[in-house]
Order: sequence, then C-alpha cells, then structure tokens
Amino acid sequence: MSNIGIIVGREFNERVRKKSFIVMTILMPLLVVAMMIIPSLIMLHSTGDTKRVAVIDHSGIIAPQLESGEEIQYEPTDLSVEDARTLLTDYFGVLEIGADVMTNPNCVRLYANGSTSLAFEESLEDDIVDIIEREKLKEHNIHNLDEILAQVKTSVTITTFRNDEQSEEADEQTKSSAISTAIGFILGMMLYFILILYGAMVMQSVIEEKNSRVLEVMVSSVKPFELMMGKILGIATVAAVQILIWGVLIIGASAVAMPALVPADVMQSVEAMQAGTLDITQAEVDLDLLNAIGTATDVQYISTIFVWLLLFTVGGYLLYSAIFAAIGSSVDSVQDAQQLQTPVMLPIIISIFVMMTIFNDPNSPVAVWCSYIPFTSPIVMMARIPCGIPTWEIVLSLGILYASFVVMVWLAAKIYRVGIFMYGKKPSFKELWKWMRYKY
Amino acid sequence: MKELLKIENVSKHFADHTALDDVSLSIPEGSIYGLLGPNGAGKTTLIRIINRITAPDSGRVLFDGHEIAPADVYRIGYLPEERGLYKKMKVGEQAIFFARLKGLSRHEATVRLKQWFIKFGIQDWWNKKVEELSKGMAQKVQFIVTILHEPKLLIFDEPFSGFDPINANQLKEEILALRDKGATVIFSTHNMASVEEICDHITLINKSHNILSGPVSDIRRRHGNNIFRIAYRGEEESLRRALEGRCDLLGVEDEESMRYNTMKIHVEHDEDVRSVISAVNEAVELRSFDEIIPSMNDIFIRAVDGKL
Repeated sequence: MSNIGIIVGREFNERVRKKSFIVMTILMPLLVVAMMIIPSLIMLHSTGDTKRVAVIDHSGIIAPQLESGEEIQYEPTDLSVEDARTLLTDYFGVLEIGADVMTNPNCVRLYANGSTSLAFEESLEDDIVDIIEREKLKEHNIHNLDEILAQVKTSVTITTFRNDEQSEEADEQTKSSAISTAIGFILGMMLYFILILYGAMVMQSVIEEKNSRVLEVMVSSVKPFELMMGKILGIATVAAVQILIWGVLIIGASAVAMPALVPADVMQSVEAMQAGTLDITQAEVDLDLLNAIGTATDVQYISTIFVWLLLFTVGGYLLYSAIFAAIGSSVDSVQDAQQLQTPVMLPIIISIFVMMTIFNDPNSPVAVWCSYIPFTSPIVMMARIPCGIPTWEIVLSLGILYASFVVMVWLAAKIYRVGIFMYGKKPSFKELWKWMRYKY
Repeated sequence: MKELLKIENVSKHFADHTALDDVSLSIPEGSIYGLLGPNGAGKTTLIRIINRITAPDSGRVLFDGHEIAPADVYRIGYLPEERGLYKKMKVGEQAIFFARLKGLSRHEATVRLKQWFIKFGIQDWWNKKVEELSKGMAQKVQFIVTILHEPKLLIFDEPFSGFDPINANQLKEEILALRDKGATVIFSTHNMASVEEICDHITLINKSHNILSGPVSDIRRRHGNNIFRIAYRGEEESLRRALEGRCDLLGVEDEESMRYNTMKIHVEHDEDVRSVISAVNEAVELRSFDEIIPSMNDIFIRAVDGKL
C-alpha cells in the first residue's frame, strides 16, 4: 500500500509543479466565462443591423400601420413589383402584399436581395398578423377597442417552487429554470473536458513510461496493479486539487463578487423574494433576472452542486482512466491508441447529445437511463442535478458508477500487466480479451 | 558452499509457447553467476520469475533458504536490459523515488546517494533533468539506483551495453567489489568475453531448457576436446612426417606475431598424447605443446547447436 502512496506523491508533485497546470487552473474558468459571454455578445451585435424593407401594398390597409422597429424598417413605395425588384437593390427586400390580404392571408410575398432567416420571416409575419387581427376586430364595431386591448394584454412569469428534500428548510426558495439549465450545461461541459483531458493524460503517461522503459525498472519493486492505481490516483489528486481551486473561485464569486456587482436595490429585491416578502406586482425589475441572481448568489445551493460535481467527476474520471490506462499499456504510441480509443470516446460524446435533450425534459426516459449507465452517468446526471433530482436517484447513480469503477480496474489491471511487457504489437480488442484471461 | 537462490523445476507456459520447461539451478552465495542463452531462450522470463514480476506455473524459487516472498524484492536489485528513467525528473529526486520504492527512507536514500555520487564524481548531476544526461551518464545513475538499497542479490541484464571501455571497466570493478562485500550477482549477457572475465559459474539456457551448468573453469576444461597447439623450430615437412598416422593435422596457424612455427592437431585418444609429444620432440625443436581450451564463445555456439 505504501508503494501506491509513493507513486501518487510522485505523480502529484511532477504535475502540480508544471507550468501547464497553473496556466490551466487559471485559464479554465476564464474559458468557461468566455464561452458564456461571447455568444451573447455576438447576438447583441448581430441585432444592431436594421433591415430596410420596401413595401408594395395593393390592399392599402397594411402598409400605413406597419411600425418600423430596431430590426426592420418598413418603407412604402409606389414602384411596381418588377421595378422595385430591379431598382431597390440596396434594400433588404421587397414585400408585396396582395389586394385581398384580409380574406386571403397567403398572398404576401417577400423578394429578398439576400438570404433571410427564419426569425426575420417570423417577425414580418407577426407584424402583418397583428394588423390583420386588429382590422378584423374593428369590423365588429367594439366601443373603446384600444382600451380593452390594452387592458387585456398580459404577460406571465412562472415562479417555480420545488417540493423535493433539497429545499425543505427553505420551501419558499425558488430556482430559476434558466440558470439551472445554464449551470447544468456548464457542469456537463466541464465534466466532458475533465474526463477527456485527464483520461488522455493517464493514457499518455502510461505510454511514455512504457516507451522510456521506466516500467521495466519499476515492476521489479512494485506490482503492476500498484503502479496502475498509483498513476490513476495520483492524477486524480491533481484533478481534485484543480477542481477545488475552481470551486473556491466559483463559490467566492457567488458569495462575494455577485452581491458586490449587482446594484443594491436589485439585491434587496432578491433578498425580499427569497424571504417570500416581495410584492410581485410592485417589482420594478424582471422577475426572471431576480431569480437568476438569487440562484447565482445562493452559496448553499452552489456548494451542494459542487459536492455532487466533485463526486461525479472523481467517479467518472476513475472509471475512464482505468480504461485509458489499459489502452495505454497495450500500445507503443499515441497514434496506435487511436483505434482503441474511439469506442471509449463514444459514450462521452453520446452523453453530450443526451445532455442537450435535458434542457427540454430532464426526466425523459433517455436522460434517466443515461444517468444510471456508468459510462454516461457523470455528464448526464451532472446536467440533470440543477433541474432538481431526488437525492436517492443521485446516490444510486453514484453507487453504480463507483461499483463499475471497481470492476473496470480489475479488468484493466489484467490487461495492464500483460500490456506493459508487449512491444511492437498493435493489439486488437480480441487480443485484449485474450490478455484478460492470461493467468499470472 | 551455501546457496542464496535455488530454482527447482520451474516451468512457465504462455498461450502460444513454453518459456521455461523444468529448469533447475542453484546460485552459490557470493558468486557471480552468468545466465547465458540465445535470444528468446527464456532468460528474461526466469529473471522476471526471480523478481516476482510473474509467477511460475509450477516449481519453486527458494531465496536464502525460504520460498521467495513479497518482502524479498527489497533484498533484490534488478537492472533490466531495457532500462529507463523519467526523462523530465531531476536525477536526485528520481533516485530517491526509486530508493523509496525499494524500502529506504527518504533520509537514508539521500545520505547513501550523496556518497555514491561523490564516489562516481557526479555530484553536479543531482539537480539536472535526466533528459539533459547522455545515455552513458543515465546508465550510471541507473546502476546506482539498482544497488543503492544494498541488496543481497543483484541481477544485471547486459550491464555493460552503452558504456565506453573506461566506464565499463569502472562498472566491472564495482560489480566485483559488491561481490567481495558479500552480494550475489546474476549476470545475464551475450558478451562471452566478459563472462570469462568475471563469472564464477554459468548456466546456459536454450529453448527453455537448462542445457549446461557449472563453474566456468570446469566447463571450459570439460569441453576441451583434445586439440593442441604445437610451437616449434624446424621443418614443417619433418613434423608432418613424424605425426603422420598418429593424429589429425588441423593446419598451420600463421599469425605474424608468432616467433615460432605452429601447428594445430587433434589427438583422438588421451593415451596417445605422450607418444605424439615424443614424436614431435624427435622431429623438430619443440618449444611448447598446449591444449587449446575452448572459449566460452565456442562452447556457447556448440551447445546451442546441440554439438556438445
């Protein structure tokens, strides 16, 4: 046992002292933040462009009522369709509205000078539909129509309350679905990177030891099993330290930075909402935003998620690194490992696809099954947890994960102790199966 | 003489071939024991069994009188033929790491390493990374790592490969010194000259069998097959005439440095040797009459070819 300790110590010291470790530890959170911010920045900038649309209205009803907005600027024109199409090339397009649009709403045509997006067409349609509907209502001769419409107009914001045991002590507390989804996605992606990054690190390091023939020297004092476990656990401690540093950063940001950055009056509303005393009808700010800030500053909630993250990351890492260690031991170079690696990467990729479906339904059968299957459970379960999953489900999934790790290590060790003495051979899966049954 | 290591009827089969088939040998304490054999004969498997890297299918390995146990790896030092160190690790740190795996404390390892580094005059390598060392330098570090825990049994697989003659000689002196201090050395090599030079006993393994065992001098004498070299002054013709019918003439050795004429002969029966000598003595001026003791190289080749 002490040998494993010595090997773990070496792996840890060698890696933590490397510059790449320090750089990664600082860069990774920045990368995650950038991944969140950059798409919204791009979205902000892409809407800044106003599209000019020439309108030829044969009905005479629609054009006067079309309201130009930030996105679309409507400009009625008297040109014929043919002339407009040939002359107005600097416009985004020409919108032709048929004379009988009130009875036949399908006679609207857009002659675009470039490609249009679905979103653009939808907003054009919405604008026209609004006008047609208003016109049709007018025909009923309702008195005070505009006032009635203004009074009828409603917008609903759902406030979600969770009934599971996590919120027992604070039953009034609510979690924003939007931020839960975002957190789930970030956690899933983080796990994906960690599994691939550290799994590959184990594999590479085994290949390196095999190539430099250090293994030949080591096996005379250490059992191959101790060697493999020492490597897996050593790199695991590196990963754990890295995640802990990130955790401290994130929890610190949640507890200190967020309240400091958000304006005081908004923070007061958030606190009031969390206490259940907020008068929703009087709230000046968007309830969704309040909710999001509330969730992001809830240190206890973030910490709980963090503990799960640590457990699933370690479990997933252990399972995959055992496989990667076995692969590394059986080949001579990283290139040779490719062929064996592909089937191992497949469940990780599948997890990412399943994770995408979780945003629509965290409890779909596929999502639930994949959060129990050990090869996909770390990523899928991690993405589901922020959506509110009963604790017993999480514990069961963890139990399966760690049990399958034990089985996997046992199998991997069998391959490993044969593999480390095999040179110049590119083994197939059939061969690995044979190695597993060698007696030593 | 007391035996440090005894291999009893050890067999080891792999899926598609037999590496060792009923091999027995015993290694006297305080000797340098040559483990010879062509590539693929089963030497490495035997060494791995001694190191407890693999277990035999049948048979026993006795170390110092008891069946070999896990703790015994602390009393064995193994320098494999394919050796390696962590390239990115510093020399001193790495040596301490390996020493700790052999059961030394960090402190003890540091003290001993410093002594060896001073002895070899390589103190300034301590903080260098292994990748900065030349191959020969790295081999030296590896040698120190192998012997640092003062094992009772040392196993060297081709220890001299990669060394220049000066360093190889230094290494040889160290190995002999270790033997004199009481260590037992198993020495696996293809270099027959070094076997003659330093081995006390040998075992020759071929095709997973032990085909030849014993003290080096005994083996060489035992396999001398009545070939003699005659050095003389006089007519070659008269020598030929005198020996006609008494023995086979194998030919003239014409080495330029020789001060005398020479002739190699083969005498069929031991009883005839005296009469051959007197015949030679009458025919020419006899300066020497030597039995040619075969080199280990010859014995090795003939044994492997099955001609012994």
